[in-house]
Amino acid sequence: MDALIIITVGFLVAFNCGILGSFLVLRKMAMIGDAISHAVLPGIVIAFMLSGSRENIFMMIGAGVIGVFVTIMIEVLTRKGKIPVDAAIGYSFTFLFAIGIILLTAFADDVDIDEQCVLYGEIIYIPFNVWVTQGGLHLGPTALWIVGLNTFIVLIVILSFYKELLITSFNPDFADSIGIKPIVWHYVLMGLVSYTAVSSFESVGAVLVVGLIIIPPATAYLITERLNKMLIYTTIIALITSILGYYLAFLLNVSVAGAMITISGTIFLLVFYLSNRYNKKVIMSKSE
Amino acid sequence: MTKTAVEIHDLVVAYNRKPVLWNIDAHLPAGKIIGIIGPNGAGKSTLIKAMMGLLKPASGKILFFDNPLDEVRERVAYVPQRESVDWQFPVTVFDVVLMGRYKKVGLFKNPGKSDKEKAKQALEKVDMYQFRDRQISQLSGGQQQRVFIARALIQDADIYLMDEPFAGVDASTEKAILKLMKEMGEQGKTVIVVHHDLQTVMDFFDWVMMLNQRLVACGKTQDVFIEKNLNDTYGGKLTLLNEVGQILSKNQMPQREK
Ligand SMILES: Nc1ncnc2c1ncn2[C@@H]1O[C@H](COP(=O)(O)OP(=O)(O)OP(=O)(O)O)[C@@H](O)[C@H]1O
Ligand SMILES: [Mg+2]
Repeated sequence: MDALIIITVGFLVAFNCGILGSFLVLRKMAMIGDAISHAVLPGIVIAFMLSGSRENIFMMIGAGVIGVFVTIMIEVLTRKGKIPVDAAIGYSFTFLFAIGIILLTAFADDVDIDEQCVLYGEIIYIPFNVWVTQGGLHLGPTALWIVGLNTFIVLIVILSFYKELLITSFNPDFADSIGIKPIVWHYVLMGLVSYTAVSSFESVGAVLVVGLIIIPPATAYLITERLNKMLIYTTIIALITSILGYYLAFLLNVSVAGAMITISGTIFLLVFYLSNRYNKKVIMSKSE
Repeated sequence: MTKTAVEIHDLVVAYNRKPVLWNIDAHLPAGKIIGIIGPNGAGKSTLIKAMMGLLKPASGKILFFDNPLDEVRERVAYVPQRESVDWQFPVTVFDVVLMGRYKKVGLFKNPGKSDKEKAKQALEKVDMYQFRDRQISQLSGGQQQRVFIARALIQDADIYLMDEPFAGVDASTEKAILKLMKEMGEQGKTVIVVHHDLQTVMDFFDWVMMLNQRLVACGKTQDVFIEKNLNDTYGGKLTLLNEVGQILSKNQMPQREK
């Protein structure tokens, strides 16, 4: 039963990250995921200091606010300051992350947050953290609800706005010319990525979220010629990753999140080798 | 007097507060095929982007049939420069063409039967229907250009702005695109084309706009495509001057079809 819960949460997290990550990879913005997932640390600490509570909801709001803040910061730096986007990302998240570290160490006595857990997650404790209502009703693991709600929202947005996300990813100038505003969809996507990074880090940690955002979509990208197939392959890879990742961790007695990323990294290498060998699609970088 | 399709008033466009287009004033007639020519860096793409509202002008305004773009957006179609997208992107030819209908389809809906029928017709017009299921990376440059044009065609617009549709295409694609443009002109559509090859200006365009950061000339091709304006547009570069002489003398011969 616990295994099933852990695998399900792992899969849902990998699914949420992978679906959004597909769009980030295609927009050549994969490292934004990195920025958001690191920058949320100060958000969590500040939310904790302000609310004095370890309730998930406060931390998620704090982290979500910072997540959106960092995407705006990157956008402004590149658009107004003419700084290359990778430099803007590197600047923004290391800066915010450092602030988070300082806050965490300076107020270590008051802030009861395990940074180990924030960074690397603790998916195996998920089954024990059960949501109990005031009436004493057991509703199952809290994380399952949090991640499940996330999946629901990701699905709704992607299914409703597939064509807007597609056109603004492929050809933003053209989208703009017909009246579909790329900037709106940029922030919709970034808002979702922030939310997803936050709701995922309890399970897999802030660092490994990045792996799930990039690796499964990058793998799917190697073998697809259409976006809808890319999303389906990403989902399949997310499923394999969560199942094999769990059992690898179980066998070797290591971190589940670490094992999941190791598995998906291995799948990528395998697909990369096979797709080159069978020459399915040549990977080329965009010639600017 | 023909109707005016596009009116540009005192347009100044700047990047980082450095103007690259100065005080452009022009009227472009409806139902004509209009070339925009000028050297690299003259601001041709910038002008097109400003017209499409992709860049905010520092000052001035642009009107389409006497209206600002936002009020007549569905009557204006844009064909971006081919290099402006990543051709490795996982979409098929058909997917790209359908994008021309995305705004009309509206939020929460997917392109329907009639949109697909239109996409099919547009692809047939540019002779690309047999490639509809190909991923766009598996196309030649000329075929990619045809896909972009098909996408603009299904917008059913009255004004088409095309950024270098003839760049890097072979002779047969060039002919096909030109034929299409002439057809569009006959249907009363206005086709505005950024163009580089001076040799073909006389044959292709009814009207030209000569640009080098400032507007050098704008008028009927036979009136403004003259040595003096060419010199002003391209600066007195020697090799170019020789070429200009050749082009002009070549075009003295009666080879225009009108
Ligand atoms: N995004 C940008 N930021 C800053 N300067 C730019 C930008 N895009 C263009 N420029 C500058 O504006 C000027 C006009 O560029 P534009 O691309 O409009 O020229 P063009 O006439 O289309 O040239 P080409 O024939 O090479 O396509 C150039 O000097 C160019 O360096
Ligand atoms: Mg240009």
